[in-house]
Amino acid sequence: MAMTITEKIMAFNSGRDSVVPGQLVWVDVHTVMTMDYLGKQCFKAFESLGSKTLFDKERVICVSDHLVPPPTPEYATMLNEWREIVKSYDIPFFYDLGRQGIAHQIMVEQGHVLPGKISIGTDSHANTYGAVGAVGNAIGVTDAAIAMATGKCWFRVPESVKFHITGTWQPWVMAKDLSLHVMGMMHWNGHLIYKALEYCGPAIDALEIAGRMTLCNMTVDLGAKNGIIAPDAKTEAYLKPVQKGNWEMIASDADAKYDAVYEIDVTNLGPTISRPDKLDDTVPVEKLIGTKFNKAFVGTCTNGRTEDFAIMAKILDGKKVHRDVNMICIPASQDIYLECIQKGYFEILVKAGVAIETPSCGPCAGIHTGVAGDGDIMLSAGNRNMKGRMGSKNAQIYLTSPAVVAASAIKGEITDPRSEKW
Amino acid sequence: MAIITGKAWVAKTYVMSFDMIIQKFWTSPIDKEENSKWVMAGVAEEFNKENGFKDFGYTFIVAGHNFAGGGKSIEHCVTGLMGAGIKAVFATSFARLQFRNATNYGMPFITSRDMNLDCETGDELEYNIENGEIKNLTNGKVFTSVPVAPFVAEVAAAGGLMNFIRAKIADGSIANLH
Repeated sequence: MAMTITEKIMAFNSGRDSVVPGQLVWVDVHTVMTMDYLGKQCFKAFESLGSKTLFDKERVICVSDHLVPPPTPEYATMLNEWREIVKSYDIPFFYDLGRQGIAHQIMVEQGHVLPGKISIGTDSHANTYGAVGAVGNAIGVTDAAIAMATGKCWFRVPESVKFHITGTWQPWVMAKDLSLHVMGMMHWNGHLIYKALEYCGPAIDALEIAGRMTLCNMTVDLGAKNGIIAPDAKTEAYLKPVQKGNWEMIASDADAKYDAVYEIDVTNLGPTISRPDKLDDTVPVEKLIGTKFNKAFVGTCTNGRTEDFAIMAKILDGKKVHRDVNMICIPASQDIYLECIQKGYFEILVKAGVAIETPSCGPCAGIHTGVAGDGDIMLSAGNRNMKGRMGSKNAQIYLTSPAVVAASAIKGEITDPRSEKW
Repeated sequence: MAIITGKAWVAKTYVMSFDMIIQKFWTSPIDKEENSKWVMAGVAEEFNKENGFKDFGYTFIVAGHNFAGGGKSIEHCVTGLMGAGIKAVFATSFARLQFRNATNYGMPFITSRDMNLDCETGDELEYNIENGEIKNLTNGKVFTSVPVAPFVAEVAAAGGLMNFIRAKIADGSIANLH
């Protein structure tokens, strides 16, 4: 029977030859991720189930990302409790402050997510794992605890929707622009809710893993159950030095059934911006040229990767961030931080007047490191712009790509990165 | 109990998970009674006090698209509503993460399209769990909903997924989950 990649993964990891959308299956999970602010609850819930040992301690991945470095004594205490419990289970893969990164970045870059397998995490952007051909899914404490004990998780097999992406990427146009374009195109009409969103086509093949992560990451914000891109030679090369386990190539069958198929040609796609409060209220950058803002931010599990800072360094090389703009950049992991230092990107950014912070979710989680205050207008390369998401409810958040943030930061107003030769 | 009746609160805009449970409670222990005291505090000013939402005595919530969206895997949104006496939420669509959490707690999150357009806060509703029919007793309108899947009903009957799994670990049938 013809199946999509998501259906195959659900079938093969539940000991079946095939599945159909709507079917309820208990799957074997490859890895379970939890992090600082829910992790302790996960271990406590696990203990309450009556099982003494984890299903596989090498496949329970623990990360400190939301609360590091701790901004308050209360969070510092919570982190201490979190460390105690992780230590007590002798978890080998514990990415704590000093080795930290945003959980989803860590899961992919450290090889804890593999093509054809299912990984779950207690944070909504676990969809990111689809970038390397895995089913990545966000779950709560209950599901995490049960998977920690049994290695299993229940799923309703989703219908699949295909986005076939063709054409040539134009200079200064990024995967983020496609993400936001799709957001605006689909709106919150409910069409993608609970579905598997599969990106494919020549323009996807052309993307590196970083861009694929951006795309899959934001499928959760379209309401999708998962976002996925079939593994290819790039995936293989990316994973080879880091992968924790073996995997095989997997792809949708040519005659697999889709709930819908959309065609998008990126040749005509330009920089895109989501206006404050509603993710699906997206417009081409041209419509907002000249809009003033006072805060700029690039980081997060959506856009905190080396490629993102590389494009910003190209734009900001020898330039200065406008005096009315406070700009923060946060690399998504220590590995990215180091790479950006070694490649000179952060030297350029610091000289331009950008504050670089240590890897964490930062203000995107609305907790610390540059949260928005009353009246702030923020230009962000993060993933959510609802009222209050990044701090004050009386702040406005425009979402866009790192290229738009960098070009705009120089002028202090929204600028098309294609308008100058950087 | 196949029929539930009670008063509804109707959402006029998106309801976000991070407003249902405001930041200072994101890390609180999961406890229906405790979580209910401040549930919905960030959704409307009138709910922003201790028992602010709970004291209205609503039985149902009616909402449009993407109920409990905006990320946040916290389960307090669901346990808080349960502790506040909410017996079912009807929405055009749910953010899937909280839909999943609701399923795991045996809390009915029921998909019923555009009900929010034909209901007002304070309306008296009657929900028939068996056939999925919802009557607005205040204005006489009737709505249909997607019936609860067998697995969801089974989990609810067990008192939530944790109890469901505990029983299976205890009797050794956990390996049969398929």
